[in-house]
Amino acid sequence: MNIRSQGILLVAVLIVVGALWVGLPGQGSAPEVARTEDGRPNLNGIWQALTSANWNIEPHSAEAGPRPEIMGAYGAQPGGQGIVEGGTIPYKPEALAKRDANFKNRMTPKITNDPSRFDYGDPELQCFRPGVPRANYMPFPFQIFQDQNQMLIVYEYKWAMRQVHIDPQMEAPVDSWMGWSNGKWDGDTLVVDVTGFNGYSWFDRAGNYATSALHVVERWTPQGPNHMLYEATIEDPNVYTRPWKVSFPVYRRIEPNVQLIEFNCVPFVEQLMYDPLGLYFPPGTRPDGE
Amino acid sequence: MRISILRRALALAVVAAAFSAAALLAQAPSSKPALNLNDTDAAIKAAADAAKREAAIKDYTPARTPWGDPDLRGVYLTATYTPLQRPAELADKPLYTEEEAVAAFKRAVEADAEVDPRTVHYDWKEYSMDAWQGGARPSLRTSLIVDPADGRLPAVTPEAQQRREMAAAAAKKRNPAAGILTFGNTYTRCVLGLGAAPLMRGGNPGSESAAAAAGVTAEVQVFQSPGYVTLVHQSNTDVRIIPLDSRPHLPQQIRHWYGDSRGRWEGNTLVVETTNWRDRSPGVGFQGSTDGLHLVERFTRIAPNTMRYEYTMTDPKTWTRPWSVDSEMPKVEPDVIYEFACHEQNYGVINVVRGTQIREREAAAGGGSARAPRGGGE
Repeated sequence: MNIRSQGILLVAVLIVVGALWVGLPGQGSAPEVARTEDGRPNLNGIWQALTSANWNIEPHSAEAGPRPEIMGAYGAQPGGQGIVEGGTIPYKPEALAKRDANFKNRMTPKITNDPSRFDYGDPELQCFRPGVPRANYMPFPFQIFQDQNQMLIVYEYKWAMRQVHIDPQMEAPVDSWMGWSNGKWDGDTLVVDVTGFNGYSWFDRAGNYATSALHVVERWTPQGPNHMLYEATIEDPNVYTRPWKVSFPVYRRIEPNVQLIEFNCVPFVEQLMYDPLGLYFPPGTRPDGE
Repeated sequence: MRISILRRALALAVVAAAFSAAALLAQAPSSKPALNLNDTDAAIKAAADAAKREAAIKDYTPARTPWGDPDLRGVYLTATYTPLQRPAELADKPLYTEEEAVAAFKRAVEADAEVDPRTVHYDWKEYSMDAWQGGARPSLRTSLIVDPADGRLPAVTPEAQQRREMAAAAAKKRNPAAGILTFGNTYTRCVLGLGAAPLMRGGNPGSESAAAAAGVTAEVQVFQSPGYVTLVHQSNTDVRIIPLDSRPHLPQQIRHWYGDSRGRWEGNTLVVETTNWRDRSPGVGFQGSTDGLHLVERFTRIAPNTMRYEYTMTDPKTWTRPWSVDSEMPKVEPDVIYEFACHEQNYGVINVVRGTQIREREAAAGGGSARAPRGGGE
């Protein structure tokens, strides 16, 4: 390499460094996004949304929660501006009535031996899988594991899990709570097409819901090293008059050695679910006094 | 065969809990190589051939992932007909000859496939869930346990002995009031799946048949990404996250049902140490150990379609010495894991507990035994 080409290289390096410098946060243009061996944005890491959407994805005031006589401020819901584009979900009239009934019955699960058990109560209350997109804005972190042909998303809540199939992709083989996810890259955006839902999921504690015809298209777009824009288009001709959209940022958890801490909620809901059926005796409360 | 009402109830619950996965597995995509779902002779021959073919491969070096780790990716089968502990009649025989291994495998497969229509509640075979349908192979080992050398679990400590006696006394003292917690078993309650850790258990504790010993929904996906290995189990869709970055374990105050795992590479072997357990002694596969358990697992891909899986269990509150297993997991197709929403539709547990309550009331009224007249379902 001669002096001249070294000089050109130096200038090139300075331009790149300068571009990175002005690209720092607050400087106007996007800072560098980490990349994997195949040049895709590197989404590996632990992420979390900071919204109150799990209480209600539509705009909502702060309110007392259920059982305020014992739960006080512990049980109250925070207010929030919501994540629904335009502020209101375009329900058909009869579907809106169902949403309101869901809210009314959110705390009254009825555990039965048939699928009618899913007609009552917020699935979250019963430690059921949260579905998509709800899993992404629950007040728990989640972790993305990224391989080139497949990704895993593991949610701290219940350790619910999704595989994002990039290559090969597959039609949903069967209905499920978390749906079946096929992913592809659109530039730096991971686009995930989710179908195959069983129709039992809710979007929030306010009773917003969909049926098994739900179709969600997610767009995960890095905005910098430590945050992404999450957008989802939601379709379900059974309950909505048109497709609608949610969006919110998700942030990287950057604490040293941060990891998901198990939230296996099954033992937390056994009394709630099985005591009314006479099938649960907490330790020390059996009829024989043990 | 006489089994206790509780054990029978447990079997029914297991059936109910596994049902969704069974239905899914029956619908596995058909583009992959055909499995021998009906023909035991063909399955036995294919399994013996696969075992021979893989065993002939020496000094195998796995490929690397794009980021340079040994490539262990794939779905593996943890079901085996090899028992955890060496049967008494094989006391001095740690290894079969190749012919003996195939003969033992054949006996186990045929026993598994044979169903007594008078006792059966549920035939796993109908759902392609018998281990021989899923790729299980014969093994030269007569037990999974290789240390102690007699292939048996070591003696328990006096503390563990006392624990067992107290549990047995409490069970006898219990008045008719069976409840969810009476079962204690974390799988019946859908708290944990069947194979969370360790992966190869070589038989349900107390199981009386080869079928129950082999295991169902016994697939595990080894997923790799930079800095992590993640295990995704078919049973209960359990997930174990294993960081490889030498970070310290969680503080002792934090306890996990899956434990807290840390991994490292020793050559091409993934070594995983797991601590910080909850006290999950009722968990299937834990053999009565406590939150003092220290589990070390070693994963080595020794052939294109074989993972060697070794583990050592140490729990000074339970055993007088550590014990170790050496086993192999076949890589299987299709390499897909389906959602197993166990708790969401655990209908079985309602009927199981109700049935137990009815039996107990009958027994208390002097009307008969609380034992089931016949076994079945396992």
